[in-house]
Amino acid sequence: MTVTAPGARPPRPGRPARRAPSTRPNVVEEIAARRRADILALVAGRATGSAIDDALATAPAPRSIAERLVAPGLHLIAEIKRASPSAGRIAATGDDIVARARAYELGGAAAISVLCEPHWFGGSVDDLRGVRAAVAVPVLAKDFVVEEVQLPMLRAAGADLVLLLAVLHPAKRLARLVDRALEIGLEPLVEVHDPGELERALATRARLIGLNNRDLRTLEVDLDRAGRLRELVPDDRLVIAESGVRDPATVARWRALGFDGALVGEALVRAADPAAAVRAYVAAGEAPDDPANVARRPLVKICGVTDADGVLAAVAVGADAIGLNVVAGTPRELALDEAAALARLARTAGTGTHRPLVVAITADASARRLADIVAAFDPDVVQLSGDESLALARGVGRRTWKVLHLPPAEPADLSTVTADLVSRGRAYLDAGVERLLLDTAGGSHPGGTGIRAAERLAAAVARELPITLAGGLNAGVVAGALRAIPAVGVDVASGVERPREPGIRPTKDPLKVALFIKRARAARDDRPNLPFGPTPVPAGLLDADGAGRWGMERDFGGRYVPETLMAALEALESAYEAVRQDPVFWAELRDLLEHFAGRPTALYRADRLAEAVRDEAARLGGGGPGAGGGGGRARRIPELRLYLKREDLAHTGAHKINNALGQALLTRRLGKTRVIAETGAGQHGVATATACALLDLPCIVYMGAEDIERQGPNVLRMRALGAEVRSVTSGTATLKDAVNEAMRDWVTNVETTHYVLGSAMGPHPYPMIVRDLQRRIGDEAAAQLFAVEGRLPDLAVACVGGGSNAIGLLARFIGEPSVRLAVVEAAGDGIGTGRHAAAILGGTPGILHGSRSLMLQDADGQVIEAHSASAGLDYPGIGPQLAALAEGGRIEVAAATDREAVAAMKTATRTEGILPALETAHAVAALPGLLAGIGGVGGSWPDEILVLVGFSGRGDKDLAALERFADVDAWEGAR
Amino acid sequence: MTPPATAAVAPENTATSDATATEAGTNETAGAHRIAAAFARARSEGRAALIPYVVAGYPDAATSFEVALAVADAGADLLEVGLPYSDPLADGATLQRASGVAIAAGATLERSLRLIERIGAARPDLPLIPMGYANQVIGGGDGEAVARRLAGAGAAGLIVADLTPDEGSPFEAVARAVGLAVVYLVAPTTPPVRRATVAARSGGFLYCVSLVGVTGARTALPASVGRLVRAVKAISPVPVAVGFGVSRPAHVRAIARAGADGVIVASALVDALGEDGREIAALERLVRDLRGATALGSAAGSPT
Repeated sequence: MTVTAPGARPPRPGRPARRAPSTRPNVVEEIAARRRADILALVAGRATGSAIDDALATAPAPRSIAERLVAPGLHLIAEIKRASPSAGRIAATGDDIVARARAYELGGAAAISVLCEPHWFGGSVDDLRGVRAAVAVPVLAKDFVVEEVQLPMLRAAGADLVLLLAVLHPAKRLARLVDRALEIGLEPLVEVHDPGELERALATRARLIGLNNRDLRTLEVDLDRAGRLRELVPDDRLVIAESGVRDPATVARWRALGFDGALVGEALVRAADPAAAVRAYVAAGEAPDDPANVARRPLVKICGVTDADGVLAAVAVGADAIGLNVVAGTPRELALDEAAALARLARTAGTGTHRPLVVAITADASARRLADIVAAFDPDVVQLSGDESLALARGVGRRTWKVLHLPPAEPADLSTVTADLVSRGRAYLDAGVERLLLDTAGGSHPGGTGIRAAERLAAAVARELPITLAGGLNAGVVAGALRAIPAVGVDVASGVERPREPGIRPTKDPLKVALFIKRARAARDDRPNLPFGPTPVPAGLLDADGAGRWGMERDFGGRYVPETLMAALEALESAYEAVRQDPVFWAELRDLLEHFAGRPTALYRADRLAEAVRDEAARLGGGGPGAGGGGGRARRIPELRLYLKREDLAHTGAHKINNALGQALLTRRLGKTRVIAETGAGQHGVATATACALLDLPCIVYMGAEDIERQGPNVLRMRALGAEVRSVTSGTATLKDAVNEAMRDWVTNVETTHYVLGSAMGPHPYPMIVRDLQRRIGDEAAAQLFAVEGRLPDLAVACVGGGSNAIGLLARFIGEPSVRLAVVEAAGDGIGTGRHAAAILGGTPGILHGSRSLMLQDADGQVIEAHSASAGLDYPGIGPQLAALAEGGRIEVAAATDREAVAAMKTATRTEGILPALETAHAVAALPGLLAGIGGVGGSWPDEILVLVGFSGRGDKDLAALERFADVDAWEGAR
Repeated sequence: MTPPATAAVAPENTATSDATATEAGTNETAGAHRIAAAFARARSEGRAALIPYVVAGYPDAATSFEVALAVADAGADLLEVGLPYSDPLADGATLQRASGVAIAAGATLERSLRLIERIGAARPDLPLIPMGYANQVIGGGDGEAVARRLAGAGAAGLIVADLTPDEGSPFEAVARAVGLAVVYLVAPTTPPVRRATVAARSGGFLYCVSLVGVTGARTALPASVGRLVRAVKAISPVPVAVGFGVSRPAHVRAIARAGADGVIVASALVDALGEDGREIAALERLVRDLRGATALGSAAGSPT
């Protein structure tokens, strides 16, 4: 379809238009032909050569756009035009384009684009000149460049950038135009709209590539075109998206897809307050400030810095470490006094906490030489890059990093080489080495094409050990490498240098340094499902296999459902597979979670509660009532720094909103138009009803009649949100029957309906989906804890019913051997009474609600009703991943009775002023026992421990339970 | 057993027969052969087989035995025996309620097995096919114990409402070992390619679910049921029986005319037993009427 406003057509040129024989109109050819005629007329009869040279000589110095674009995030190029073939004459612009340009600059635009084409766009070089004089940011000449002579003319008028349309030029001419532009200080932006044009653009030296959603021949806009093409552009180019912007959300999507800039024109020109409009687009392009993203960003070391500019470049962009090479005979060798000067500069140039570490690069240096190096410039870290012995590594007397070298040739047996590297790496870590670098000695980077073995090897080692990738990296490949390999850091030297000149010591190119850091830091942003560090546990504890099974023997999970649902589950699985690694989906969700749901939630250090926990632990450990396993000897209770991950502060009052929003977005992607959900306490029902209100989806919530009775306020909330609450009277009229009824609805309406399951249970892929959506709890908490304590917790504790809160908190830590993990089940009246909801401690393997896991059942396989005062935990099963983790011994399992939970609820409320949900109170209730080492949980603690508690929800809904258990008091210390 | 492949046998045929012999599936079991014989018998009489369903232990153990015999004698070619389950998520209100009543009345797997044994002893030519849920049959293990006990009680096959071939292989192996056919289901939502896979794995017959939904009597079946039956018949190497929603002779007639090998009626029969589950005469009438509507091919008169 051609979107052309007839009014915008200029009068026909006097001579017949020279058109291709095609019957389709080719707008860009038509404009270009006219432009060529203009230019030829302009230069005809004029002695252009020297005049242009003169003009160039007096042109203002070019302003750099690349410096802006290499900064994190996406930057806005705001466009000024008076008319366009697609939009016609653009109202409200008037003649005051200079004022408009100033407003754009004020709003934060990184550059201003000015249309110079007169006939279709009503622009002129005078417009360009006027704007250039009025602003301080670079200005893009948006013209149809057909003749080389236009380039100096535009530069002379002040242009800093120039647009070159690949569609107008064969490869050679395009390359020549790019070279000519670069030569006169004009930054060429080469615009393409299909893979063929892109190939021509990439063959030039252009640093900026524009990907246009609009086909300039037909003016047709395809909103996904730029995104598709982005995958084909190497990351060492700066990439700009163009056309089809409707709102800031488009720009946010482009940021997530890895664009560095966006050219926005028509969406801005009609804005009454142009500065404000620009500000909204600029904000949408900012790199996400999200602790869950921060945690996935690697350490970046700029290695082999040889001069002050290199140090300043690395410091300016926030490099984590700077390597100063003092290895004799290497190209980047520094004399010790040179190194000392650069180290001083690195220390003084850095600001606040962002000072980079100074790393002395050594190789096979003697102990004496190492001592000299340390004495000479006092590095923070000594890197051993040769074949140093363990003994030498032990004796450096500084933080020590060790390089491991990959075999240069493709090894015959990958697993033997991996095992060897891992065991050597472990030995160095055990010897006190702080970090390991893995160098791909062959010289080729592990993320590149054709080097699969190195990549597989590096990935295999990185799954076991925290490694920093080194060797062969550059801005073009670093993001790919970080996505393929769960390395914790990257190291770059030659990949960020200026072209080598023989006999001259290599120097860093500040733009390359900046772009490298940008690409490395953003590589895993909005990709929550990419591993980003070692996970040395059996694979079955981390992820489901292709059949959705978990566990050491892949005994848990699967898909046990009526045949009618199989197609829907397969569709859900394939839709989710696509979404799982799609940063646009996760960026969109992150935006909702941040602005709608209030994430990240706070991490709060609860000192008074910690004191009460210690007192209670001492009472239990000292042989008080209930200290069954105390053994008579009073245990030493460790000092406790207790952190609460405040999911109770998330919108709707619990963690459930994380999953509900994610699945509501997924519903849209699936093209389903109706949502169903089950709920126990009503929290998931409220969260789903909320997400559906937000996204305008009809919502039906199934809830046991018994629970409707117990959770009146939540029922009213769901109804107020527009959801229909259907009472389930079958079976025991509680959560499990609500799940049954939701499944029956789904079986009946599967063609139109998505079932938003509320816990990390059910048939594959639900346990994975819900885990992925909830793992943000632990991802955030880990980053937040790291920020205040500099380390991960010693123990993470969560209550568990079906398991969404527990797996959400714990997923981040499964692969962290230093973190003990505990879940707390609802013991109801006590596990011994048979009236409980403890599927792990009191259940057996079985199949419930679509997957095989642990559950409460009798000898005939009839499901036994769960018992807990807490409706959210009152469920006879548990998600398959948690069953696998329990089976694998990776989680410790405790339990709290109704009365213990109420006591903890009262204690938390009185000591901290935070009323936890009764579910949450189970986690608190187990803390004294975990500290005192009783209640089936063994092991001992260091003197002071960091404990992270998943504070899953708020307790307003449970005030009636407090009344019901009026005889239960808070812990002694809190009374 | 089979003679070695000769040069005369086309290679693809060899591959196919090898695959059938070694691939999982329970269609070569003794149970499957008994089921096949019952379908063949009905077909030889120009009828689709009628497969009524009774809930073991509903409304109580003794009555359910009487109900089963009454149904058998009123015209059953095969008999499905529902194993009451606490969480029957593929079942509509009627069978949920009947299951609950049976459990409350003391139904256990052991008692259901004894019932099957008694029915089998009383009507030895009637293939019995229990129907249950995965947790009852397989649970945390591979289902060997239950398969053995079912086979021991005389069951010919087994339908597991929430088991598909995707998860069924281990259970098929134990069922094969005891001679039990594992019957799988296809639904209107099952994509054509998958239908063929499921059919190839189903033992004895293939259970074709007529509608998108749970069990329960419907006044009308989806208009598409005839098309579905023909499509499923075209790809199934085993007889195809249609169930879910079937409640009236007209439904049975439509299904039989579409070429189905059998018709399964469940909830409607439980409904016919009335509130208290004891109106056996009414049940017998319905079964006879349904049986009268099973004629294959062109119109075969039957009272409505």
